Amino acid sequence: MAKIAVRGLTYLYGQGTSTQIAAVKNCSFDIEEGELVGIIGHTGSGKSTLIQHFNALLKPTEGQILLDGEDIWKSKQSVRNSRFKVGLCFQYPEYQLFEETVFKDVSFGPRNMGLSEKEIEERVRQAMTHVGLDESYFNKSPFDLSGGEKRRVAIAGVMAMDPDVLVLDEPTAGLDPRGRDTVFSMIRNYRNKTGKTVVIVSHSMEDVARIATKVLVMNHGEIAMFDTVDNIFSKGNELIEMGLNVPQITKVFMRLKEMGYNVNSSVYSVEQAKNEILRLRGDIG
Amino acid sequence: MIRDITIGQYYNGDSFLHKCDPRTKILMTFGLIVAIFLCKNFVSIGIMIFFTVLCVAFSSVPVKMYLKSLKPLLILILFTAVLNLLYSTGGDVVVQFWKIKITDKALFNALFIIIRIICLIVCSSVMTYTTTPTMLTDAIEKLLSPLNVLLKPFNMQVHTLAMMMTLALRFIPTLIEEIDKITNAQKARGAELDAGKFTDRIKALIPIIIPLFVSSFRRAYELAFAMDCRCYRGGEGRTRMKKMKFGFRDLIVTVLFCAAAAGIVVTNIKFGSVL
Ligand SMILES: Nc1ncnc2c1ncn2[C@@H]1O[C@H](COP(=O)(O)OP(=O)(O)OP(=O)(O)O)[C@@H](O)[C@H]1O
Ligand SMILES: [Mg+2]
Repeated sequence: MAKIAVRGLTYLYGQGTSTQIAAVKNCSFDIEEGELVGIIGHTGSGKSTLIQHFNALLKPTEGQILLDGEDIWKSKQSVRNSRFKVGLCFQYPEYQLFEETVFKDVSFGPRNMGLSEKEIEERVRQAMTHVGLDESYFNKSPFDLSGGEKRRVAIAGVMAMDPDVLVLDEPTAGLDPRGRDTVFSMIRNYRNKTGKTVVIVSHSMEDVARIATKVLVMNHGEIAMFDTVDNIFSKGNELIEMGLNVPQITKVFMRLKEMGYNVNSSVYSVEQAKNEILRLRGDIG
Repeated sequence: MIRDITIGQYYNGDSFLHKCDPRTKILMTFGLIVAIFLCKNFVSIGIMIFFTVLCVAFSSVPVKMYLKSLKPLLILILFTAVLNLLYSTGGDVVVQFWKIKITDKALFNALFIIIRIICLIVCSSVMTYTTTPTMLTDAIEKLLSPLNVLLKPFNMQVHTLAMMMTLALRFIPTLIEEIDKITNAQKARGAELDAGKFTDRIKALIPIIIPLFVSSFRRAYELAFAMDCRCYRGGEGRTRMKKMKFGFRDLIVTVLFCAAAAGIVVTNIKFGSVL
């Protein structure tokens, strides 16, 4: 059974007004347990709108979201459950910090779940380990941290609820390359340790290619592709037509193919590129 | 949704009244408000209604929009009318049942109050529909500029106050959007905003208000720096890109208004009061 199943989801902003926009149009797909799904698409393609349905922040105009096979809008209880089962971390989550200390802020989620003090502390410690911040941070004010640290604290605040599915909206937006690497290795570690399902929204193909197992491509509110990373990158031209940037190394190989070399143009990492070139050299000479 | 609230209800357009000087519109609106309460008989109130209809016609804003601005006040209007109906004294009794007597004066009073409130709302709506909030504050600044002499000893300027008002108006939609975002982020962490006791609900607002304050201060600093970087130094010696000018349209509006006002005064004296 799929962890999250989306069935014919349509969402209209400003329904019935003159400014009505269909942000998501008739989408259907399944996210299986343990997968790391990357969602990509141009600005305004409806990525953020889509993921806000996973934890019932938005109510579908049409269609259903099934979490573990159960419609999340079935009852008040199921809505509330979905908030804890699906941990959603918004874009620029550092702006949601509000407590005096990092510890208190990270414990906000677990506290809302009604856990005991002991459990809360355990969850917080675990989450802080996931994001690579040690105990010395616990009593600092979240407002005194650097931007990257704030981001990690905010992500820890969602991880501390120990959700079945972790959804991150552009977790690396506005970070420098080092900060990006930190966040990605953090997410990879989290997944290796817990085996939880993870969904990441991103603008950057390169980033998604690095860690995702499957990629969902959105285009003007519709699902353009949903496939494994390799299959997605073999359609480089289509991606470029949708206004997406394919990794530079993929561009090089697309051009090589155009020039008549018999290469596989779905290459997206330097390692693959090396192997591909070595293979080609073997072929030729 | 919270973002549906519009502050300053400007209706985009290119009509005669849109192009008028905002100062004329402000002064005329005040003048109309006074005139509305001067009307004492059917002829003068007729002139008033005619002038209001004229304003609406020249604003090229759909009548639907005016009805929309009247809707929230419908209950207030009816309530005031009923009070007037029951508590006016004097005049001949027209209807009587049980202890309640309704006199002809009371009927007129109720009718006039309805017409007055409607005219009042429609006239001020004409102004806000045809003038952007920025233009309004600019006009207020210009109109109040004589006060600069009074404010000088306190090292203040009307311009500063007007600028504050403009900025506040400018940031309302931004803040509403921000509240939306923060609310969603906290809901995603299991915050319950619409359940529990009253005190619980107030407490539940803390996780929203604190980030809102923090980001408002951040925005304020950023804006102040940005203004500083563009050499903003207050109002002194500052020129405008869009100069307000008293043009032929304003002349027409002023003449018409004076005619209506004179008409109301004359008919009031000539035909007496029915109230
Ligand atoms: N609260 C809202 N009210 C009205 N329209 C909205 C709202 N939020 C988003 N939209 C519109 O819905 C569409 C999809 O927006 P969404 O935020 O889901 O895009 P996105 O793919 O996340 O974009 P980005 O990559 O820029 O974050 C856009 O056209 C946007 O203008
Ligand atoms: Mg987005």
